[in-house]
Amino acid sequence: MPSQPPLPPLLAPYVSTLPESSLTLASSILGATSNWLVLRFLHAALSSPSPNAAFGADELQTGIKKKVVLVSFLRSYDFWKTEAKRLGLDLARLVDKQQFAFIDGLSELFYAPDAATSNTSPAGLGSSPRTVLPLRSPPGAVPGKTLPPTAAPPKGNANVTRAQAEPGIAKKLHFTGRGLAALDLMEKDIIAVIEQQKSSMEDGDELVLILDQPDLLLAATGPSMGIGATEMAEWVTVLQQHAYATVLTLATDAPLIHNASVSAGQLATPIEMEHAAFAIGLAHRARSVMQLRTLETGAAKDVSGVLRISRGGGWSAGEEDSLEEKEVLYFIQRDGSVSVFGRGES
Amino acid sequence: MSFRKRNIGLSPGVDRTAVPNAATQPAAPESTPGIRPSPDDGRPTTSTGTRSLDNLLAGHAGLPMGKLLLVEENGTTDFAGALLRYYAAEGVIQEQKIHVVGVPEQWGRSLPGLIGSAESLDEKRSDRRKDDRMKIAWRYERLGEFGAGVAGSRDAPATPGAQDPAAKEAPAFCHAFDLTKRLTHPSITNMTFIPVTPSKESPFLPILKRLQTAISSSPASTIHRIVIPSLLNPAMYPPDACHPEHVLQFFHALKALMSAHTTRVTAMITFPLSLYPRSSGLVRWVELLSDGVIELCPFPHSADATATSGAATSQEEPPQGMLKTHRLPVLHERGGGSDQNVGQDWAFILSRRRFEIKPFSLPPAEGDTEAQDASAAGGMPKKSDLEF
Repeated sequence: MPSQPPLPPLLAPYVSTLPESSLTLASSILGATSNWLVLRFLHAALSSPSPNAAFGADELQTGIKKKVVLVSFLRSYDFWKTEAKRLGLDLARLVDKQQFAFIDGLSELFYAPDAATSNTSPAGLGSSPRTVLPLRSPPGAVPGKTLPPTAAPPKGNANVTRAQAEPGIAKKLHFTGRGLAALDLMEKDIIAVIEQQKSSMEDGDELVLILDQPDLLLAATGPSMGIGATEMAEWVTVLQQHAYATVLTLATDAPLIHNASVSAGQLATPIEMEHAAFAIGLAHRARSVMQLRTLETGAAKDVSGVLRISRGGGWSAGEEDSLEEKEVLYFIQRDGSVSVFGRGES
Repeated sequence: MSFRKRNIGLSPGVDRTAVPNAATQPAAPESTPGIRPSPDDGRPTTSTGTRSLDNLLAGHAGLPMGKLLLVEENGTTDFAGALLRYYAAEGVIQEQKIHVVGVPEQWGRSLPGLIGSAESLDEKRSDRRKDDRMKIAWRYERLGEFGAGVAGSRDAPATPGAQDPAAKEAPAFCHAFDLTKRLTHPSITNMTFIPVTPSKESPFLPILKRLQTAISSSPASTIHRIVIPSLLNPAMYPPDACHPEHVLQFFHALKALMSAHTTRVTAMITFPLSLYPRSSGLVRWVELLSDGVIELCPFPHSADATATSGAATSQEEPPQGMLKTHRLPVLHERGGGSDQNVGQDWAFILSRRRFEIKPFSLPPAEGDTEAQDASAAGGMPKKSDLEF
């Protein structure tokens, strides 16, 4: 089989042209994850044009430098680094060049390891049931108390070694407190990174913000912690304002979307209702929705899933570049390369 | 002239290649027992203690390190618990550190006893099978032996080629266990039991803290297994444990912990689906946060076992249930769907000595025996007529 280009031609127009202040929604389900699509967005924005393409490319394309800020809530930096390397993207180098920044929403989001863990290392090892509660600010804390989150992560040697061990991570997000205050703190952290990237930007450069599965935040906190679909949607809006274009991935498994509808005939749990409201609300705001799902007819050896690209509620008819709606199949090979093709083609 | 040049060029070249090889080999985690590189992409994997489950995991022939496998089960049976015990017992044999959450220490005493390496058991079986091998239709032979699925393709050439001495020297990757015996092994004390303690905040918080302390304070060569039987079972967990903000934050933090120590930790969690159906948003999020999701659907018990089950012949043991793979580690993280094991119908059989997963096939139509007999007596052509 001939090796696939990193960016399948059928997919290229959808991932490389992101108009200003647009929101692109990539939805995934359990058996069809969106990581490969996020990598394609990264590649489209960050790869330096190959010498061959540079001859034919129009000046507009080559003149614009793109930067990317990736906020990932479910995957570690290592994952993105190794997978991007398969596409020929060296994220570590791009971080050095200030073209790319990674914000880690996984490792310390809810429970930041406190300094105590390193102190107890010789005696620890679970000899006695440790019931020591962590140094976490109690829910409902005074906003003034939770305000300095950047200083909150543990000081001392534990922090230093961790920082040295993981270069390339611009910021680790922490969820402290509850409700809007907690979201605001994370918002500030992300915006700080965006502004830092912008400081080295010239006029006309574009900054793409990729939010990878922020719906986790909603699911893992929920109304009981003062966060609902409205708060999350507002949070996304504010972040969107700081970026040229935004790409957002979220899960749209059937239980998360359809359980909330009245026709389901059962009482929906808050997690289902809020998720459905969040996802549908975003779809109405998005310029395009890229929906990933598995084949309805069962699994196939040469098809990984179906990608449906449709216009979202935020698409306006007056756009100069039209967005063609399309449904294609995709197949991810063992080496990570992707082929995208229409039904019946191969 | 050319002869000399080549000679000079070659000898340092050999050295140069040899040195990095020597340097990388010990660094590879292969040196630690129970860990071997995946035949698919070389990442370190460890055994789940069940050979056919290892082979189901998207060509890695084991559970990749740093991954979390969720085993869901319908009904009131405890097949998933058996898988979990194999997983824990395998960890004991490989002298890994095992953290068991939520159950008392009796659980650790009921681990299945060791028989030997999984290969030796397979050899015995294949010896026994050799005699009646000719009875198996040749074109199904591959299916019967698939035992290994994708990974079999790697194991198969090694066994006849390397022969026994080499196989015996290499430490076994996966072992076979006997459910009726009890495991006795010096390193069984390596198990720690983390109780679920009621807490004002999340009941998972103390558990996480202990896991974190134990893993980060242990030497870098220690391999850990996290075993969580029957998560959210109301008999063990307080009612507020199933609040999304508790259980999902726990899964997220567990994921973070495992990605921070990505070469040292694996986890297996069983989950009762009868209490928390898959159609609920909470369970779907639990699945989304796991690296691998497997669902066991045991067949309802019936006295007439062979009639309802999918055993093709009476000699074969009837399957006890269906197994569905919803997500496989690594494969689905990349986008998924291309593995040949995905989308297959799987059946599982739990016997005293093994948990076997094999392709599910429907039995010959029921109640058709009379028709078959009748036709055999009458209209069916004689065997000699068909010979050519």
